[in-house]
Amino acid sequence: MRGDAVRGHLDALLLAVLESGPLHGYAIITAVQERSGGALELRTGTVYPALNRLERVGLLTGSWQSVGARRRRCYALTDAGRRTLAGERTAWHEFTSAIGSVLEPRPSA
Amino acid sequence: MTVDEHVAALSAALHGPARAKERMLTEVRDGLADATDALADAGLPADAAARRAVRDFGTVEDVAPSFQHELTIAQARRTALFAALSAPVLLLCWQVAGADGGVLSHTARLVGGVAAAAALLCAGCLAATGAWARRLPVPRALPRTVAWAGTTAGAALGVSGVALTVTCVLAANAPLAALIAVLTLASHAKVASSARACRHCARLA
Repeated sequence: MRGDAVRGHLDALLLAVLESGPLHGYAIITAVQERSGGALELRTGTVYPALNRLERVGLLTGSWQSVGARRRRCYALTDAGRRTLAGERTAWHEFTSAIGSVLEPRPSA
Repeated sequence: MTVDEHVAALSAALHGPARAKERMLTEVRDGLADATDALADAGLPADAAARRAVRDFGTVEDVAPSFQHELTIAQARRTALFAALSAPVLLLCWQVAGADGGVLSHTARLVGGVAAAAALLCAGCLAATGAWARRLPVPRALPRTVAWAGTTAGAALGVSGVALTVTCVLAANAPLAALIAVLTLASHAKVASSARACRHCARLA
């Protein structure tokens, strides 16, 4: 599943993989891919601006970590980020439940 | 295309505050290096790993707009901050300088009002692109609005600086008035240049 399937859910996916602790950009990308069993392929170039936006609106905090010559920006969920993630989960469950109940075949009367 | 070439191409396509842009590009460069290392560890030759990392990243045409959008908002916030901070400083300067009667006093009130209105608008922009943006999308016209509000505030600061310079010639406390004139002219230069950059970014967004 490429871009179209992920678009619209990217923020929630990024927040979800940060729930268990801070990660840097590439680790966030691989975490999304691994947790989806490889089904979700992120175009990595869309992830960095999304992380920037989530930090700007206060759902994440970012800090630089240096590893040798390489500098990585690590992101962590804020309390507002956790609340937003909980809301996204609830909305997703309601959505999939509603769609599922329509898609499920009905036993013929 | 190598990682450095791809980052250079992305850099050439982006415009915005130097520090914000450099931060983004550093993150991208090192993210691509991480991706290249991971692919090389998985068995790809180094060149192929770099090419694959660049391909997975997306073309500059595809990804630059979302980077530019963030940079445009960063430039708008920067302009808004300068304008919002400059107006109270300017009003304080006029208070301290105690503009005399006549034309200068009238100019002071007019310019102070314009700068205060622009500052209020800019303060709203800071809120709209910060925490409020969790629930409300940033209006498309916001960067352009801030650019022109900043331009207006910059012009008001310029006029004020000139008026204060004239005042300092007439005032008894010339050194203080001269200091204030320098301060307002410096504010004008800062706000006006940031607003000009914001107008440029808004055209790209």
